[in-house]
Amino acid sequence: MRLRRLRLLTGLVLMAFVTGHMANLMLGMHSLAAMESGRPWLMGPWRSAAGQGLLVCSALVHLALGLYAIAARRSLAMSRMDWVQLFLGLATPPLLLNHAIVMHMAGEVTPNFDSTYGQMLAVYWSFSPGYAFQQLGVVMVVWIHAAVGLYSWLVLKPAWTRIGGFVLPLLFAVPILALLGFAESGREVLEKLANDAAWREHIGVNLRRVVGVTDPLNALQAKLLVAYGVLVLAAAGVLAARILRERFARVTIAYDGGLEAQGRRGLSILELARLSGVPHAHVCSGRGRCGTCRVRVDAGADQLSPMSGDERATLARVGAGQGERLACQARVADSGVVATRLLPPWIGP
Amino acid sequence: MSQTLAGWSVHALADATARMDALRADLLRAPEELRSLAAATYAAIMSPGGVASFTYVVILLLVGIGVEWLYWTYAYSPLRAIQSTAPESSRQALRLASRRVGLVVSGLLIFTVAAIGASAAFSWPAGVQELVVAATLLLLVLRLAWTLISTVLAPGRQAMRLVPVPEARAGWLAAAAMSVVALLALGAFLAGVLERVAGAPHAAGALRFVTVTAASLFLLIIALACFGRSRNAPRFPRSFVLAALVVAVYGVWLMSARAATIAAIAAAVVALQIGLRPMVFFFWQDHDERVLPSIVLSAARFVALLAGLGVGALVVDAPLLALAAAESPGLRLVLRLLGVATLALLTHVVWITIRTAIDQRLSRIRPAGPLHEPDEHSRLLTLLPLLRVTAAVLLVVMLVLSSLWALGIEITPVLAGAGVVGLAIGFGAQALVRDVIGGVFYLAEDAFRIGEYIEAGGNTKGTVERITLRTVALRHHNGPLHFVPYGSLGTVRNTSRDWVVEKFNLPLPIEVDSEKIRKLIKKVGEEMMADPELGRLMMEPLKGKLYRVDPGVKVFRCKFRTAPGRQFDLRAQAYKRIEGALRKMEIQFADGRLPVATGA
Repeated sequence: MRLRRLRLLTGLVLMAFVTGHMANLMLGMHSLAAMESGRPWLMGPWRSAAGQGLLVCSALVHLALGLYAIAARRSLAMSRMDWVQLFLGLATPPLLLNHAIVMHMAGEVTPNFDSTYGQMLAVYWSFSPGYAFQQLGVVMVVWIHAAVGLYSWLVLKPAWTRIGGFVLPLLFAVPILALLGFAESGREVLEKLANDAAWREHIGVNLRRVVGVTDPLNALQAKLLVAYGVLVLAAAGVLAARILRERFARVTIAYDGGLEAQGRRGLSILELARLSGVPHAHVCSGRGRCGTCRVRVDAGADQLSPMSGDERATLARVGAGQGERLACQARVADSGVVATRLLPPWIGP
Repeated sequence: MSQTLAGWSVHALADATARMDALRADLLRAPEELRSLAAATYAAIMSPGGVASFTYVVILLLVGIGVEWLYWTYAYSPLRAIQSTAPESSRQALRLASRRVGLVVSGLLIFTVAAIGASAAFSWPAGVQELVVAATLLLLVLRLAWTLISTVLAPGRQAMRLVPVPEARAGWLAAAAMSVVALLALGAFLAGVLERVAGAPHAAGALRFVTVTAASLFLLIIALACFGRSRNAPRFPRSFVLAALVVAVYGVWLMSARAATIAAIAAAVVALQIGLRPMVFFFWQDHDERVLPSIVLSAARFVALLAGLGVGALVVDAPLLALAAAESPGLRLVLRLLGVATLALLTHVVWITIRTAIDQRLSRIRPAGPLHEPDEHSRLLTLLPLLRVTAAVLLVVMLVLSSLWALGIEITPVLAGAGVVGLAIGFGAQALVRDVIGGVFYLAEDAFRIGEYIEAGGNTKGTVERITLRTVALRHHNGPLHFVPYGSLGTVRNTSRDWVVEKFNLPLPIEVDSEKIRKLIKKVGEEMMADPELGRLMMEPLKGKLYRVDPGVKVFRCKFRTAPGRQFDLRAQAYKRIEGALRKMEIQFADGRLPVATGA
């Protein structure tokens, strides 16, 4: 749970950075100059040593924790939202790598490299549109990943009923406005390229400088991608090995209403229910936060994993009685468990 | 006639040859066209216009997803409630499924409207907007189709299934059906875009050919695999009919696309008519009910036919009104026969509905004969069969008249003639009519029921034994049976309703103490009320008081209230008990003898 909190925290840091970046792009709806003048305010803090360190650390920690979460999974019984998060999260690093390297490293490899918005937009809109598609894809992927994460964290808070009406539209408005800014400033850049010969010349010189160092950058990028791929495969391998090892150890639990759930040993009650198609409420997707999955254990309580501190805290918060457990936290060691769902399966946040 | 037929055949064959040539040309030239199209598309994408378009598309997606998400924050809980309800019958499954489809389709429509509406806000490069709108609509069609297919076949959820398909087949049947829809939708939308936006008619033709062929193959597999030959019943194999339909439609498509659409609609209607019976009866599999499914079946057959005709008319752009007004007598006759068939079907449905309702009501009322207690349903038992016959006669008359009218035969003289004859018969059968109509009113006003004792206007009285259209049969308590026509029934005095008051006199000698006697009678009344047998029948206890004083006699008047028909037994009981009580107090009944003073 402490790791999960750390993952949330780093995610929030990263989201703050992305939001600032997008807010900067929104200024493009006014003009290119506005973008540049907003830049020290919105992006400046992140370019300081402390900001940069925080950002890089957060990104690495968030990535590492994400991979760890995959490796630590016991089954693929995930909600649709979790699948979306998994794939978007995994897709982000390769898509973002190029942009990050160009922005961060190019300055060091080629001194005097001018990485202003005008420069980058000219590259995207005129010189190599391929990068633009990559960036647009990244905007979608990163933002949806962040928004889903933020939403599933906030939606359980009591305050959500009050702030949800504002936050939810905002989560969609930010990328839409940023993209509008991107499109609008792109048009301005194209006009400037056509009319302002001196500027065009400046951009060309700048680009040639980057082209000179493209090869080492590409080599670095390829190395990083391979390393990333190895890490992802390792995490998936750990998960697959666990699933395969426990494949034949089946357990069965009985539910109220004559239902029955079957699955591998070591899965949580909720995972067994989801794998067997037993309707079961789980607002927070099995993170032990919401308490909607709680069950009364009528028999076989000694076959369940012992209660952790977080589970105890959540159960106390929702006012659970004696003999109640969170289905997402109680893992089943052997058959003979009889559970009664306490909340209707359709309950929402 | 034969000449026109021959001419038409030659014409159709020439069309088919031209179509085949065009298809061949499409297939030959498509690769070359596609190559140049791919190069042009790449160039268009890798340009400022391409970047702008992609940005706009991403914005549209975000707008659509955002609005739909907002919708689902409200609609998700009801959806989950529906999904986690275990239906008890197929009919409930149908209700749940329709609610689920309603929720999901609203979400789809919201997404589509938001995305297409937002696309109006941007200035797109030429042709891109049409592409985007087509893609959005394609997405809508695919999601809609999957919603419907997954709802109807419900792979993996036996209880939610709406068609009689075994679990093992539902999954891949859904996949095959979805593939067919996806192929046809792709062929329709993408080919349209290729033709209009990209200017590649041959590629479009080739695409249509490929998708239609693949879809036909899928349909063929579905038909052959799903409706396999039954070894139990020696009946014509349905799979053969369905496969033949698919092949025939595909063959027609090779000759003419438009004719193929009509053929496909006709084939779908035929396939539906073949498969509709098990589909409809599936919803009543847990019931012995036979009549209601039959109504639904005939209505569904009719609706399927009409829908087929409607869609067909839309496809061929037939000016239906102009067609109806056309002067071709053959066509007019066909249209009119169609009208008569419609009327017959509607009449049939109405008749089955009325009959089912009446029969069900009748079967719920237990049969009441003359030996049974009169109960509240005996009136319905009389009225309902009467109503059924009346409805049948009315429906037949109306069907005949309106059919004649639909066929264009002037019915005014018939009506007038019927009026004249009716008048004549009416005068002749005045009494009969009065009896019948009077009877209906007696029954409607609930004047008497079978088993009740009534006194009619004349001197007839007795228990109602039989109620017929014209008369009521009254059994006199001495045995004779009166048949009274309703017309001469007159005022009815019904003595079997609610309660009766029974009064009788008690003459006692003049010396008795009136107050003592009153108390005695009251006590007897209380005893009778306390008796488990008699108390049940008493509505008000027996009471008595001094009523008249005659020379030498005090007459006490007693009364009690009881259920109709029981007053005679109870009066006998009351006399018996009062007599016993009087004897205990050594009081005699008045003997009627007057002491005469002789003056000595």
